Amino acid sequence: MLGIYRCLLHLYPASHREQFGAEMIAVFSQLRADTAQKGVTARGVFSVREAAGLLRGAMREQVRVLGAHVRLPFPTRRFTMRNGFRFPKSTPVLMTIILAGVVLAIDKGKAISASLPNVNPHIGPIQPEHHTFLPLIALAFAVFYVAGALGWVILFALHRSGVHRLAEFDPSGDSRI
Amino acid sequence: METLPLTEPVLLILLSLAGQPRHGYSILKDVEQMSDGRVVLSTGTLYGALRRLLDDDWIERFEERDSSRGRQAYRLTLQGRRNLQVEVSRMKHLTRLANLRVAVKES
Repeated sequence: MLGIYRCLLHLYPASHREQFGAEMIAVFSQLRADTAQKGVTARGVFSVREAAGLLRGAMREQVRVLGAHVRLPFPTRRFTMRNGFRFPKSTPVLMTIILAGVVLAIDKGKAISASLPNVNPHIGPIQPEHHTFLPLIALAFAVFYVAGALGWVILFALHRSGVHRLAEFDPSGDSRI
Repeated sequence: METLPLTEPVLLILLSLAGQPRHGYSILKDVEQMSDGRVVLSTGTLYGALRRLLDDDWIERFEERDSSRGRQAYRLTLQGRRNLQVEVSRMKHLTRLANLRVAVKES
């Protein structure tokens, strides 16, 4: 687990890792030791919280480092989720109920449609619609996920290339790139 | 850059440092205790907030003398303490106002 944590730390900008990396690992080790005596659920919650915190923190730091040299036309802070934000616990339950309702409604619609008599020979039999919006939602999720991942890769590659440091270059002085 | 009003985690971190200087683990535990377990910070969240507070000179970092491992600790700067007082005053005013309004509504 410590190995995964160290790997995830590499998503942070080098400056942040140099300044806080060792300290973060030390604190994480202490927290992990505390959680080791607790149950499986507590350990799971701890792991998810730490992983999510690291990913969100790394993303924020990368955006900050890039944003320091690239003037964005909007405040980046608006796109960061507040630290204390949590979905209500009822959210997954409500989402499941709504999804089940939609699926049942579609099935019911199919059954009614199939049972209707075909009185007009010019129209032909009424066929149930097989294309629901569920695959569309899944496709939209996949597209957004891929777009987000691509954006992240581009930002990360730009940062790793050190291109943002060109702004610090002073040809007349002895500043380092 | 930290701006007022502060988010709850940042406010709790500053309140934790208002009493005494602390290192990372101690801040996490104190925040959890102060919020009765409601706010549990991850290390990523904590060190992101600490970095911003350091950049804005609200807190400063120093090496603990009595620690054998040379741990880094954090304490409020004068500016940080002043900003915290401004935020607490704002919250006091808001609470007083809310109490008045709620009391009027109930009567």
